[in-house]
Amino acid sequence: MTPLVQAILDGLLVGGVYGVVAVGLSLVFGVLGIVNFAQAEFLMLGMYVAWFAWSFLGLDPMLGAVLALAAGFMLGYVIQRLLVQRVMSSDHVAQIFLTVGLLAVMENGALMIFGPDFRSVQTDAQMISYRLGPFFISAVYLKAFVAAVAISVALWALLNRTWLGRAIRATAQDAPAAQLFGINTRWIYGIAFGLGAALTAFGGGIVLSFAPAYPTIGANYVVLMFTVVVLGGLGSVMGALLGGLLVGIVQSASTLVLPIQLQNLALFVIFIAVLALRPEGLLGKAAK
Amino acid sequence: MKRSLLILAVIAIAAILLGLALDPRSYGVRVLCLILMAAALGQAWNIVGGLANQISLGHAAFFGIGAYTSTVLQVQFELTPWIGMPIGAVLAAVAAGAIALPTMRLKGPYFALATLAFGEICRIGAQAMSGVTGGPQGLSVPFYGDSLAMMQFRQPGAYVPLFAALFFLVSAVFAVMSHGRLGYMLRAVRENEEAAEVTGIDTVRIKLTGAIISAACTALVGGLFAQFTFFIDPDTVFSTTEISIRAALIAIVGGVGLLWGPIVGALFVVLVEEFLNSTLSDALPGISPFLFGVALVVIVIARPEGLVSFRHLVTDRFGKKGKEA
Repeated sequence: MTPLVQAILDGLLVGGVYGVVAVGLSLVFGVLGIVNFAQAEFLMLGMYVAWFAWSFLGLDPMLGAVLALAAGFMLGYVIQRLLVQRVMSSDHVAQIFLTVGLLAVMENGALMIFGPDFRSVQTDAQMISYRLGPFFISAVYLKAFVAAVAISVALWALLNRTWLGRAIRATAQDAPAAQLFGINTRWIYGIAFGLGAALTAFGGGIVLSFAPAYPTIGANYVVLMFTVVVLGGLGSVMGALLGGLLVGIVQSASTLVLPIQLQNLALFVIFIAVLALRPEGLLGKAAK
Repeated sequence: MKRSLLILAVIAIAAILLGLALDPRSYGVRVLCLILMAAALGQAWNIVGGLANQISLGHAAFFGIGAYTSTVLQVQFELTPWIGMPIGAVLAAVAAGAIALPTMRLKGPYFALATLAFGEICRIGAQAMSGVTGGPQGLSVPFYGDSLAMMQFRQPGAYVPLFAALFFLVSAVFAVMSHGRLGYMLRAVRENEEAAEVTGIDTVRIKLTGAIISAACTALVGGLFAQFTFFIDPDTVFSTTEISIRAALIAIVGGVGLLWGPIVGALFVVLVEEFLNSTLSDALPGISPFLFGVALVVIVIARPEGLVSFRHLVTDRFGKKGKEA
C-alpha cells in the first residue's frame, strides 16, 4: 500500500506541473479553435530562459519561470499576430501545418542557437526531502507544485475576475457577438495565444528545477500535453489542470507495474482511447 | 491514366539509366536513391493525406513496422527481404486497420493527434521489446555480401533499380487509385463527408481501405530503407519529425493530392537537404529541418485558404496537368 500512496503523491505533485504546461494548449484551442502542435516548444523556450536566468543572474528556476512567462507571452503574441491570425479562418490542414512548421523552426532554431547540450540547474531544494509519516516529499517537487497552484489561481482570477478575462471568455464563446459588444477580437486572439504560450513557458521554468533543458525536449512533452488536455476536454482550462493531476498519477503509478521504458505507453493508450471514445473529454461537455 | 503510368515508367527507367551512368559508389548515386525513396514515401502518405485529406502525423509507425519486420525476420530466420518486406506490408496494413477503427471518425486535428500518438506508441514499443528488436541500441542487417537473393549490395548504385521499382509501384498505386472509383470516393469524402455518406458511399470503409493501402506502401519503403542503410533503430525509423512529418512535407511542398506532388517535393527536399548537409551542417546542425519548417510556414501563409488550393495553383500554372493528376 505504501508504494502506491507514495506513487500517487509523487504523481500528484508532478501532475500539477503537467497541468500548467498543458493549460496553455487548452486555452489556445478554447479561444482560437486552433490545435497548436508547436505548444511544447514554448516549454523548451521557458526552460532555456529559466536556465540563463539561473546561470547568469543566479535566479532560482521558480523566479526564472516568471521571466519565462514574460518571454513566452511576448513571443506568443507576436507569432499569433504575424502568422496564426492569417489561418484563423482557413481549413484545418493549413492550421496543422502552420503549427507543425513552427515546431520545426523553434526546435531546430534552438539547436542552432543553444547547441545539443543538456543544461540543468543545481539548487539546494534538490537535496532536501520532507518526511510525512512513512512517505517522503521531495522539496523540489513540492516547490514546483506550489508554483503550479499559484499560477493556476492567478489564471483563474484573470479569467473570472477581470474585464480582460471576460473578454477572452466572450470571444471563446461567440467571437462575432463579442465583436458586436465592442471587443477587439483580433487583439484578444493575440492576447490569448500569448497567454497560452506564457503559461507553458512558465511551466517550462518549473520543469527545469527537476529536469535538464535541451532543444528536443518539446518532443517528449507533445503527446503528454495532448493527453492532459484531451482527458480534461480540449478547450477547458479547469479540465486541463485536473487532467494534469490525473496524468501525473497514472504515469507515476504505472511505474509500479510496468517497466520504466513503458512508462509513457499507458498514457498514449489512454490518449487514443479517450480520443476515440470521448473526444469531448472525460469531464463532461467541453468548453468549446 | 495510361499516360500517367507511361510517364512514371519513363521517370523510373531514366533514374535507372542515370544510376548506371554514375559511378556506383559515388555520392550522386546515393542521392538518387534517397530522392526515389523520398518520392515513394511522400506518395504513400499522399494516398490518405492527399486524396482523403486525412492528415497523418504517424506514418513512421508503418515505415518502422516495415523496416523492423523484414530485418527481424532476417536476423532470426535468415528470411530474405523479398518475402520479409511483403510480410511487413501485411503487418503494417493490419496495424493501420487496428488504429483506423477507433480513429476513423475523428476529424482534422483530432485525427492528426491520434496518428501522432500511434507513431510514438510504436517507437516506445520497439524500444521496450528489446528481445526482438534489439531495443534502443537498434538492429543491424546481417551482412551476406553482394546478394540479390538477400537484397543487399556493397555499392549504393545497385539499389537504384530497387528504389526505382518501388517508386514506380507506389506511384502507380496512387495513379490507379486516384483515377479509379476509390480515388473519386476518397475525394468525395475529402470535400464533404456528410454529402458523400448521403450519396451512398460507405465513408468508413473507403477511408479504411485508403489507410491500409497507404500503410502497406509505407512499410515497403521502410523495408528497403533498412536494406539500404544496414542498420535501424527505433528513434530513426519511428521518428515523428524525420519520417512522419517529412513524408507530409514532401507531398505538401510539391502539391498535396497530386501524382506529381511527391516527385517534385522529393527532388526539392532531398537536394536542399543534401546541399545543406554537405555545406553548412557542421557549423549549423539543424539548419535543414529549420529551413523546411520555414518553408512549411511560408507555404501555408502564402496560401492561407488551405493547402488543397495548391492543386488549383498548379492547375493554373500548368494547364490541365494539375487536374489530371
